[in-house]
Amino acid sequence: MDEVVKTTGLTKFYRGTAAVSNLDMSVKKGRIYGFLGPNGAGKTTTLKMLLSLIRPTAGEMEIMGRRMNEKNRIEILRVTGSLIESPSFYGHLTGAENLRILQTMLDIPKKNIDKVLQIVRLDHQRGKKVSAYSLGMKQRLGLAGALLSFPQLLILDEPTNGLDPSGIQEMRELIRSLPQQYGMTVIVSSHLLSEIDQIAEDVGIIANGKMMYQGKLDRLHQIDQSKSLEEIFLDLTGKEKSL
Amino acid sequence: MISLFKCEFMKTRRRYVFMTAWAILAAFLAWIYPRHQSADLLRLGWMENLYELPLVNAIFMPLLSIIVSSRLCDIEHKGYMLKQLAVTEKRGKIYDAKLIYGLAIMMSCVMISWGMTIAFGYHVGYQGGVPIKLYLFYLLFTAVPTISVYLFQYTLSLCFKNQAIPFFVGAMGTFLGTFSMFLPQFPWLRRSLIWGYYGALSFVGLFGWTKENRYQYAHFDVIGIDWLSFIILVFVCVGMYLIGREIFKRKEL
Repeated sequence: MDEVVKTTGLTKFYRGTAAVSNLDMSVKKGRIYGFLGPNGAGKTTTLKMLLSLIRPTAGEMEIMGRRMNEKNRIEILRVTGSLIESPSFYGHLTGAENLRILQTMLDIPKKNIDKVLQIVRLDHQRGKKVSAYSLGMKQRLGLAGALLSFPQLLILDEPTNGLDPSGIQEMRELIRSLPQQYGMTVIVSSHLLSEIDQIAEDVGIIANGKMMYQGKLDRLHQIDQSKSLEEIFLDLTGKEKSL
Repeated sequence: MISLFKCEFMKTRRRYVFMTAWAILAAFLAWIYPRHQSADLLRLGWMENLYELPLVNAIFMPLLSIIVSSRLCDIEHKGYMLKQLAVTEKRGKIYDAKLIYGLAIMMSCVMISWGMTIAFGYHVGYQGGVPIKLYLFYLLFTAVPTISVYLFQYTLSLCFKNQAIPFFVGAMGTFLGTFSMFLPQFPWLRRSLIWGYYGALSFVGLFGWTKENRYQYAHFDVIGIDWLSFIILVFVCVGMYLIGREIFKRKEL
């Protein structure tokens, strides 16, 4: 199994308007895939479809070599970790209590809680109520929740949103370490090219719901060597806008 | 399913949902019972309760349903937890676990209220023994309308982030349900509202009451049980459960 995620003709319409249109996505095993696009390009909609949080209007999805359907959905998603939009938590509970709920639902060893809290460096804040956490701490708790089952596939939607520069750096390092340390495949979305440039090996660029480029990040540099990466990105996303 | 139910307990830690419901119930009981002290009411007490309490339940139980369902569902909306839960477990199971937990709270209130009614009757010395068969019917006819109202309220609370919507709909329903009890000549009105079934299923009538003599020559009697309403309500409950569950399963998060 070379491809962990494969979508064919994935489409989502909202009241007659295409949020995602005929999207073919291919994410290879053990890689970090940067899903890049301007705000409103359809990144979150695509990731939500991968997680079955919203239903595609058309198209197919294969995750870990299995075509997703209503019957195998949970089985597949249980080996997938995710952090979509904002982190999920119960504010009146502590960080550890929040993870305990997920651990009970997933029926995984209790020791995973300590392990992931250590990974995201929240082990000293485990007894604190989440409502008292800073935004960065909440983001890290969200990531801890996504990592709890040490999934084969991790889907992170703009994980550095709201983090301060040191938090961003810390998050980047953590994401970069996941494929090597735990054999995970990571999809990370962002609207910042610089962000993806520092984390990802492969990239998918989406604009107005359409995939404009997919492949190795290095090759993107080679499209037009006279232009900077930003200019190429703007060309690709702007091209679609002007259509 | 057991682990999901266990999670519901864990989630409501420090939210005191059971305690809140019981505290509201205690305040309600403290408000309704001190009036039963006159000699006439002590004579008629057991039956008088069966006559009066459906009206009180028609107001109290829907309001309690609004509070309990909103308190249980609000934590999921506030913390954006539904999308996390939906990738961890089947949505139908999530819906069921939360529903069972909420119904356990509501049924505990129905049972406590029922038990306290009987205990209070013995405490103040209602004449005669408790008509247990009628009280068991009363328990059934309080529990089933409460289940239907809670089911409706719960589905709204789970599907709407803004809890003002279920609150408003629930409050309007409670008002209309209570209002329908004052129009016995329109039985279809009671049957067309889930809040109206406390009245539709009340089975005790008051006879001989006058403004001058009040309860002096009055008596209460069974006027018959409206089994058709009960059957309709059971079907409504099943229908609401299936529809509510399906709506939640299809909801885009």
